[in-house]
Amino acid sequence: MAGRQIRVNINGTDHQAIVEPRLSLADFLRHELGLTGTHIGCEHGVCGICNVLIDGRSMRSCLLLAVQVDGRSVETVEGLAEGEKLHPIQEAFMDEQGLQCGFCTPGFIMSLKELLDRNPNPSEDEIKDVLGGSICRCTGYAGILRAVQSAVAKMGGGRPSLLD
Amino acid sequence: MAVDIPKSFEELPTSAPRHIGRGRRRIEDPALLTGRTQFIDDVELPRMLHCAILRSPFAHARITGIDTQEAEALPGVVAIVTGEDALRWSHPAQSSPEGWGTHCLATDAVRYVGEPVAAVAAISRYVAEDAMELITVEYDPLDVVADPAAAMKADSPLVHAGQGTNVMMDRVFTWGEVEQAFEKADCVVSEEFRWNRMGANPTETFGCICEWDPLDLSLTIRGSIQSPSMFGLGRAATFALPSNKVNIISQPHGGSFGGKGGTRGTDVTCLLSRKADGRPVKWIEDRVEYLTAGGSQAWDRYYSASIAVRNDGIVTGLRVALVDDLGATGEAYGAICAAKPLAAFTGPYTIPVAEYDLKLVATNKVPSGPYRGMGPPPHFFVLEQLMDLAARQLGIDPAEFRRKNFIPKDAFPYMIPSGNEYDSGDYEEVLNQALALADYPALRSAQAEARKEGRLVGIGVASAIEPGVFDWNAYAIVGMPGTGVPEGATVSIDIMGFITVRVGFSLEGQGQYTLVSQLVSDYFGTDPEMVRVVYLDTQSAPPSFGPGGSRLGVAITGAVLGACDRIRTKASQVVAGLMQTEPENIVLRDGQFGIPGVPEAQMSVAEVAGTMLARSDLLPPDVDPRPEATHVWTAAGRTPADEEGRAKSYLTAAQAVHVVQVEIDRETGFVEIQRYCLADDCGTRLNPATVEGQTDGSVAQGIGAALLEEYSFDSDGQPQTTTFMDYLMPTVYEVPTVEKVAVVTPSPFTPLGAKGCGEGAIHTTPAAVLCAINDALAPLGQMAREVPAAPKRLWDLIRLAEDTSAEGSRTG
Repeated sequence: MAGRQIRVNINGTDHQAIVEPRLSLADFLRHELGLTGTHIGCEHGVCGICNVLIDGRSMRSCLLLAVQVDGRSVETVEGLAEGEKLHPIQEAFMDEQGLQCGFCTPGFIMSLKELLDRNPNPSEDEIKDVLGGSICRCTGYAGILRAVQSAVAKMGGGRPSLLD
Repeated sequence: MAVDIPKSFEELPTSAPRHIGRGRRRIEDPALLTGRTQFIDDVELPRMLHCAILRSPFAHARITGIDTQEAEALPGVVAIVTGEDALRWSHPAQSSPEGWGTHCLATDAVRYVGEPVAAVAAISRYVAEDAMELITVEYDPLDVVADPAAAMKADSPLVHAGQGTNVMMDRVFTWGEVEQAFEKADCVVSEEFRWNRMGANPTETFGCICEWDPLDLSLTIRGSIQSPSMFGLGRAATFALPSNKVNIISQPHGGSFGGKGGTRGTDVTCLLSRKADGRPVKWIEDRVEYLTAGGSQAWDRYYSASIAVRNDGIVTGLRVALVDDLGATGEAYGAICAAKPLAAFTGPYTIPVAEYDLKLVATNKVPSGPYRGMGPPPHFFVLEQLMDLAARQLGIDPAEFRRKNFIPKDAFPYMIPSGNEYDSGDYEEVLNQALALADYPALRSAQAEARKEGRLVGIGVASAIEPGVFDWNAYAIVGMPGTGVPEGATVSIDIMGFITVRVGFSLEGQGQYTLVSQLVSDYFGTDPEMVRVVYLDTQSAPPSFGPGGSRLGVAITGAVLGACDRIRTKASQVVAGLMQTEPENIVLRDGQFGIPGVPEAQMSVAEVAGTMLARSDLLPPDVDPRPEATHVWTAAGRTPADEEGRAKSYLTAAQAVHVVQVEIDRETGFVEIQRYCLADDCGTRLNPATVEGQTDGSVAQGIGAALLEEYSFDSDGQPQTTTFMDYLMPTVYEVPTVEKVAVVTPSPFTPLGAKGCGEGAIHTTPAAVLCAINDALAPLGQMAREVPAAPKRLWDLIRLAEDTSAEGSRTG
C-alpha cells in the first residue's frame, strides 16, 4: 500500500514519517515510534485508555489515523515527566493510589491534563465528565478521584468539592 | 532446618515504626505512570511475525473445506495453520471434567461462535488480517443448542457427538441429614434465580509472543499470563514437551481478575511459530475477540434453592441445585467455579446441613472461565436472597436475622458442612460496625418516609465469606484432586548489603512488589526503596503459582519471611563464630546481628553479608557462605477431599457485611445506589491502602455484576455483546463512594495473621445490591430473580405489579 508522508510534532520533537493511510495513530505511536506508553483497550473508542492530546485536546488514538495528525502536535504520557521529575498529575496518582495495574492510567492522565491545563479549578461535574469517558477496571475510581483532588491542589487550583 | 515465620507484626525483628501494616507509595508506580512498564504488546523481538485468528461465524457447524491458497500468496504472509496442523502437532486441551477439551483449532466441527478455525502469521497485524479475509471456509451448519435446559433433553443436538450427552457432570453432594432438616422445618423458603454470564474484562486483553525452537524442541512464551507455572504445564501437555522445555515469561499485565484466558490463542500462536520455522509470533487479542471468545465469560447459572428455617429464625438446612452452562468445552476452568462454593457453602452462618445438586452442561457457547471470586459470588447472591425472604416471612429484621445465624466468634476454627474450615472471625462485630457506619436505624426511617411518598427505596444488608489462600483440593469434585500450591521467593543480600528478592510472578496491580519490599525492609532494617524485587521466568524462578484465589499476599509473605529467617540462621552462625559464642545467643534486631545487651558485640546486616561473601577466612567451617536463601511456602494442614468432596481447602475465611441503599426509578427501572457502606475483616492488614484499593475495585466489579454486565446470546448462539457499547462496564458515574470500616481478627494459621483479601467485595456486593433492590420491590409484591438487575428487567417487574394492582382494583 502506498505510503503518505506526514510531519508531526510529538512531545515537542518534530517527526517526519511515511505511513500507510490505514495506519492508526495508536499503532503509529506504539509500533513505529516506540512510544508504547499509550495503551490500547478496546479499539472502538469506548474505553479511553488510548487517549492522547492532539493540539492540546484529548482524543482516542485508536480512532484516528496517523495521516490525520499531519501538521499537528501530539502529546503522550512519555512527554509529561521532566527528566526524573514526575508531572504533578503523575505524582498525585502515585500519592493517592490512583492506579493498580496501571494499564488505563496513561489515558486518564492525558484526559486530566487537558482538563487541568484549561481549567485549574474544575467543578465536580467537569471532573466526572472527563473521568466518565474512560474505563478503569481495577480501582473503582475512588483512588482516581482522590488523585484528581490532589493534582488540583498540587497545580495551584482550589480544592474541588467532589470529596468534601 | 526449622523455619520460624512471624505470626504477628510484633514478632518481626524491628522496633516501630514498621513499614508493614502501612500504606505507602508503591515501588511499581513510577514506571507505570510514565509509560515505561513493558506490557506484552510493547515487546518487539527480531524477526517477529504477527498473528491474526480466523474464527467461526457459526455456533455449530461441520467444516467441509478450507482454502488458504489465496492467503498464502499474499506478500508478507509467512505461515498459515488450520485444524490439520493442530492434529499433527498438538493434543486437545485438558479439561475439567476430563475429556471435554478440543484442539486449539477446529478439526472437524466448530462448536461456538468465535472458535478458532485458521490463523495467519505475517509481517504485520494489518497484513495478517488482510490474509484472513482471503481464506475461504465452507461450513455445513448443524443444529444449535444454546440453552442448558434444552441441552439436557434427550433429543437435544449434541455439542460433542462422541460424548452421547451434553451433561458433563451430574452429581448430588449431601452433607448431613438434609432431608430430615427440611421435614422438621417450621418454614421452608424456595426460589429460583438466574445469574447471566459476565466476566473479567481486564483493560488489557490477553497477548503472547511464542517461539518454537525447532532444534532444541522447546517453547518460549512471553505473555500477559496470570499463572505462569500452571500455564507452562498446560502447554507442555498440549505439545507433548517435557515441562522443563517450556519457559514462560510473564510480562506485567493490565489486570486479570482470573479472566485473562489465552490458552487457545497461545496454542494457535505456538503452532504458527513452529510452522514459521521458529520465528517469534505475536498475538494480541483485540477487544472484539475478547468479548466474543475470550477468557472471561463466567457463571452462566440457573439456580433452584431452598432454606429450612425454625420459627425462632434459625436456619437449619440449605439446598442448592445449580445448572451451570459451561459452554462448548471444559477447557477454561468454568467447572472449578462451580466447585469452589464448597469452600464457603453455608456462608457466615451455622447452617448445619446442606446439599448441592450440581449439573455442568455443554452448549454451543464460548467455554466459560474463571472470574474474581471464582464462583461463590452468585452462590451468595442466592443464599442472601433466601435469607431475606425468610426474614421477611418471619417478620424479623434482615440484619437481626443474620445476627441470629452467624457463626459465633468463640466457635473458630469452624468446620462447615461442605468440609472447609474457617480460621477465625467476629461476624457480629463486623455487622455492628457496618450498621453503625450506615446509621441503619436512620436509613430505615428515611425509607419509611420515602415509601409513604410511593418511592421505591430499598436497603440491603448482606454478608458473605471470601475463602482465601486456595489449594487445588478445593476442586477435587470436578477432577482436580491435588493439594498444595507452593509459592517461593529468593532473598539475597549482596556484598554491599543491598537486598534483592526474586519472585515468580509479574506485576498485575495488587502492589505485591511493594509488600515484599515492606516485609524485607522491616526484617533486615533497611528502607523499602532500597529493596529490589525482580521477576524470574518459570525456568529460573523458585516454585510459584502467582496471584489467584486470594492467596498471593499471604503466600508471598510466608515465602519472603521464611527466606529471611533462613538467612538469619546462616548469618547467626557466622556472627557467633566471630563473637566466639553460640548461634542461639545471636539476635537480629533493627538491622543488627549481635548479643543483646552488649553494644560492642553488634554487626550490621551489610557487614555480615560482606563478611560471608568476601572473607572466607573468617567463616566457621561448614557454614553456607551465601547471604541468600529460598523459601517455598505452602499452607499446612490441607486434607485430600473425601467422597463427598469435603476438604480443608482454603486456609482463611475473610468476612464482610455490606449495607446498601438504592432507589429504583418507577418510570425507567434505573437503580441509583444512594449509600454504600461496608465493614470487613480480612485479618491483619499488611498494607491497608492496598486492601482498600482491592475493596474499592471489587465493589465496582460487583456493581457491574449486579446492574450492568451481561454477555448475551441469541437462540442461535450468536453473541450480542461484542463491543464495550453492548457489554456495559461500570464508569465513574455508576460506582458510588464506598464508606468502609475495618475489623481485624488475625488468622491463627497464616504469616502475620493476614487473610486472603484480593477478590474481596465481589463476594458480597451483588448479593447486597440485589437485597436492596428486592427490599425496594417488596411493597409491590415483586422480586428480582435475575442478575444483572438491568433497567428493563426491573421495569417489567414494576409494570407487572401495576397491572396486577389495576386488575385487582377492577375485580375488587
